[in-house]
Amino acid sequence: MTTNLSDYVSSREAVLDRVRRMLRDTMKLRIEPEAIDPDVPLFGTGLGMDSVDAVELVVQLDAVFGLTLAGSPWVSAKLRTVNTIVDAILELGNET
Amino acid sequence: MSESPHITGWGIASALGVGRDRFCAALLRGESGITTVHRFDTSPFTTHVGAMVAGYESDDRDPSLLSHEFGMLALHDALAHARLELEALQSMRVTLTLGASLFGDHTTERLAHDLAKELGISGPAITISTACTSSTQAIGFGADLIGEGFADVVLAGGIDVLTPALFAGFHALGVLSERPCTPFGRQMGTTLGEGAGFVVIERGGLRDAVTRARLRGYGLSGDAYHETSPEPRGRGVAAAIRGALDDAGASAAEIGYLNAHGTGTVANDTAEWCAVQSVFGSDLGGSLALSSSKGHLGHAQSAAGVLEVITTLECMGAGLAPTTAGFEEARPGGPPRPVGSKQPKPLVYELALSSNSAFGGSNCALVFGKAKPATVSDDERRRVFVSGATALCAGVSCIEELASICAAESPLSKAELQIDLALELPRVDLRGIDRASELLTTVVSRALADAGAQLRGETRARTGLIAGVLRASPDSLYRFRTSLERRGFAKPDTTAFAQVLPSAAQGACAKALNIRGPQSTVTIGEGSGLMAAVMSAWMLARRRDSDRIVAAAVDVRSEQSAEGALVDAACALVLCTEPTAVEVAGIGLAGPGQLDEAITEAKRRSGLSERVELLVELPNPFGGMPATSSAFALAHAIGSLRRGKSKTALVATTGTTASVAMILTSNEVTHDD
Amino acid sequence: MRLEDEYRSLRHGAALSRMDHVGLVRVSGDDATEAVDAICSGDLWVRDGRMLQTLILGEPGQPVADVYVCPDDDACVLMFEGITTEELSACLAEYADPELAIELEDLRPAYELISVNGPYAWEALSKWLTPDVIGLPYLSFYHFDRGTCFRAGKTGEYGYDLAVRSGYVERAWEELLELVGALGGGEASLETLDLCALENGFFSVRHASVEGLTPLELQLQWRVSARKRFPGAAAIEERRAKGMERRLTHFVAREGVESGDPIRDADGPVGQVTAAAFSPGIGGVAGMALLDLSVAHPGIDAFFVTGPNVERPIRTVSSPLLFNRSLLVDPHRHTYATRDETSDPPLWLGSLP
Repeated sequence: MTTNLSDYVSSREAVLDRVRRMLRDTMKLRIEPEAIDPDVPLFGTGLGMDSVDAVELVVQLDAVFGLTLAGSPWVSAKLRTVNTIVDAILELGNET
Repeated sequence: MSESPHITGWGIASALGVGRDRFCAALLRGESGITTVHRFDTSPFTTHVGAMVAGYESDDRDPSLLSHEFGMLALHDALAHARLELEALQSMRVTLTLGASLFGDHTTERLAHDLAKELGISGPAITISTACTSSTQAIGFGADLIGEGFADVVLAGGIDVLTPALFAGFHALGVLSERPCTPFGRQMGTTLGEGAGFVVIERGGLRDAVTRARLRGYGLSGDAYHETSPEPRGRGVAAAIRGALDDAGASAAEIGYLNAHGTGTVANDTAEWCAVQSVFGSDLGGSLALSSSKGHLGHAQSAAGVLEVITTLECMGAGLAPTTAGFEEARPGGPPRPVGSKQPKPLVYELALSSNSAFGGSNCALVFGKAKPATVSDDERRRVFVSGATALCAGVSCIEELASICAAESPLSKAELQIDLALELPRVDLRGIDRASELLTTVVSRALADAGAQLRGETRARTGLIAGVLRASPDSLYRFRTSLERRGFAKPDTTAFAQVLPSAAQGACAKALNIRGPQSTVTIGEGSGLMAAVMSAWMLARRRDSDRIVAAAVDVRSEQSAEGALVDAACALVLCTEPTAVEVAGIGLAGPGQLDEAITEAKRRSGLSERVELLVELPNPFGGMPATSSAFALAHAIGSLRRGKSKTALVATTGTTASVAMILTSNEVTHDD
Repeated sequence: MRLEDEYRSLRHGAALSRMDHVGLVRVSGDDATEAVDAICSGDLWVRDGRMLQTLILGEPGQPVADVYVCPDDDACVLMFEGITTEELSACLAEYADPELAIELEDLRPAYELISVNGPYAWEALSKWLTPDVIGLPYLSFYHFDRGTCFRAGKTGEYGYDLAVRSGYVERAWEELLELVGALGGGEASLETLDLCALENGFFSVRHASVEGLTPLELQLQWRVSARKRFPGAAAIEERRAKGMERRLTHFVAREGVESGDPIRDADGPVGQVTAAAFSPGIGGVAGMALLDLSVAHPGIDAFFVTGPNVERPIRTVSSPLLFNRSLLVDPHRHTYATRDETSDPPLWLGSLP
């Protein structure tokens, strides 16, 4: 739902930037945050995260964004790309 | 022909009981030692079971105290079984090989040092820290020590203690099963355990001993694949099993029973089953019995290998095949019919094989036979040469610079050592590599380049790596500890956890450079670099599973610990069997403080009649780098020989738990063999 | 089979496809990796037995081939779409150092490629090969007696591409068709595979009109090295310095939206549709559009496609569109026969505009 397009885009871009930075730091990537495509797959291909990285990602999402996913049955659907993480964070913001 | 070493006894402290009698009784009844963990709070975790040593379930004393106590219990038990009185032991040439990877504030060799001291033995103690293959390797190396004549008795084994930090790390990786593990069965995941075990390995004919079994051979390999996951097709495991069979001069068909690593995790059991099928055939030749002991004993980490070997030896002697506790229904992708009866199954077999795999990709397999005489045809000993060498610390990036500093006796630069490994290895993924791994990979890569060695095809499996390392990389230790403190035990930093092993650097280096041959991480405290070189030399000389072994050492400056290194340093030497200008003429090994004995031994083995120059023992500018300085001395000696400055060189050091010596000669020097 | 039937079997069971549009070569010799590294856009950080998805770009920076690089001991097997083997050979000749010692072997027609995709594809493979195939991680491969099994796929379900020796292909096809039949499936055409790829956000070099576009706009920076030289590298650097203006974004619509359609919002043009197809999974149109960077985000309802006398609203979404059933299937615990989809979350969690 977009009530005000420019407000939505600003808030989305702000979260996108923070998620990109967090991923870059967690994965120790030597690239600029902007070089992380918003629809890049996180696991297997794309950023190539593995199960060890997945654990760390869940912890970071909780610590940095207050996003608790552990135990949620739909974790695998929510952590597929950078955009899906941003979606989950924005959804959390809308609920509070 | 030479005789396979005798196994005259073994001893154990385990979840199934302390001492052989209790252990055997419980094993034969088909009991499991996995219970609810009472030693520490498991409420942060989703599983609450573990296999603690019987009687110590609630004992939460410092792990170093517990490990020492477990070790002494197992040692005394083993000596009793071997009917070897302490006084008699102290008068023989004894070596202790200990599998231990316990991380803590102290360095890894401390435990071996204290055990040797309490036993009153003066010979060398070598600690192998390769996590789950530590004690398996310790037993294998024991065979080498007997075969090379360095020892008459080897007390080989391993010790580990289940701590909250270990539990937290494995739990966070998602590999622990909720209920007691069911290797090869329906429940995914493993259960952690602990314990201590020792096997007494002896040269025959030295005393009136009862031979209970024979150590026929061992095989070692590396996956070069991932920090925590095994190579999914079991390639490395198969290589270690085949290596053990070759070493034992046995065919796959002769093995009657296989004790698998069988942790119960998704990744291990399918990979291991792939490996077993590739060696033994998809129906196991119709007759091989297979089981995992982790359902009884949990995954005892550094002690897993020896506890599982002891399980196998007890059963083999009693005409039984050990069973897989907890097994009910086979999992897809795993062996369809492991031994899964309630109690061990009656089975008579002449040869057994035990296999383990570890984080960082190391694999080790052992072949045992019954007590009757067994010989192995000796391959001709190979001559060992040095084909590459490099040194690295602040102000030193090659052995020529090392020579200048030694010559000038100028102090070492205090500047921080800067390297950019990505520039040197552009096609390798170096993300997340810790400092120790970075330094070790740099020197090993450069040394291989110095040797003109390109790892292609089969040479990858025939190139090994032995690293002398005292502890895990301080940055990883710090990250892991801090994550426990700040985030709690439910959320440790799992990447750091995979790196808090002393063998993490060797594993990362092997993965980066695709080194798949025999590999290990060893320590004797000070002098570990030279120890790694000595081991590499004896392995190349007497074994046939590699043609080249890189002996390396690394120290990372540690601010946290008084026992840590003061500077970053690393060194690597490539030993091989193809002739070069520098030859390893002789090696010597003796107890700590027995430098002269080690030197005498090396001279005797070198067959050199004239005096050898003692070049650099512990060069003055190179303090504060306990693992590396002795390797630097060796590198310096190699440089000197290459430049024609001398024809012979002796490098020796008295380390914390052993004294080591190596004599190098330029290749024209003749030897009296 | 009709598209809807093929789609249903691929998304819920398993389906078998011929992969005649995919090239397969082996580059061998001492310098094989170096040569492949010279033409591919990504860092070849990939181990033996694993697969890396990368691209070959043209000098202007546009994707020319979609490539899996598969190191196999010292050789490199390449599985690719978008160019012919001859074109690949010409690319190597042009961009790899002529001094490099390499040999290029076309693995066709000695091998044919067939593919099994679906949430239970692994079940067919575990019977056709051996049960331990379920332990093969995504983007890994191994050799068996009659060929090579690559675990990849571009549908978002379990996918296995089998390079089978020609002499055995027809029999393999029959056997797999039977196994897939027991899983409620049959043959799936390239059209079905492409629809599934679109829904799951897989880039298709055969469909995307990529004139003037680079991996930046196409959200393929992850396949591009930040540090090495390769054909198209200069163009990408230039575009980065200049700043990209548009980005590929996914959307859904009810109907009547086609590739090439201009997209507007209340104030004016914002982009253009680059791909669209009817998706039975969402009951509407799934598509991709190039949108102005300032609005190239999922979750926007302000855009529409204008046709004669009609405005068709589109909703931008995150990719992949679907909650693939494969995410809910565990080969260690489940089977097709005992599946129970009644308590599963829906295939699509969104709604149409």
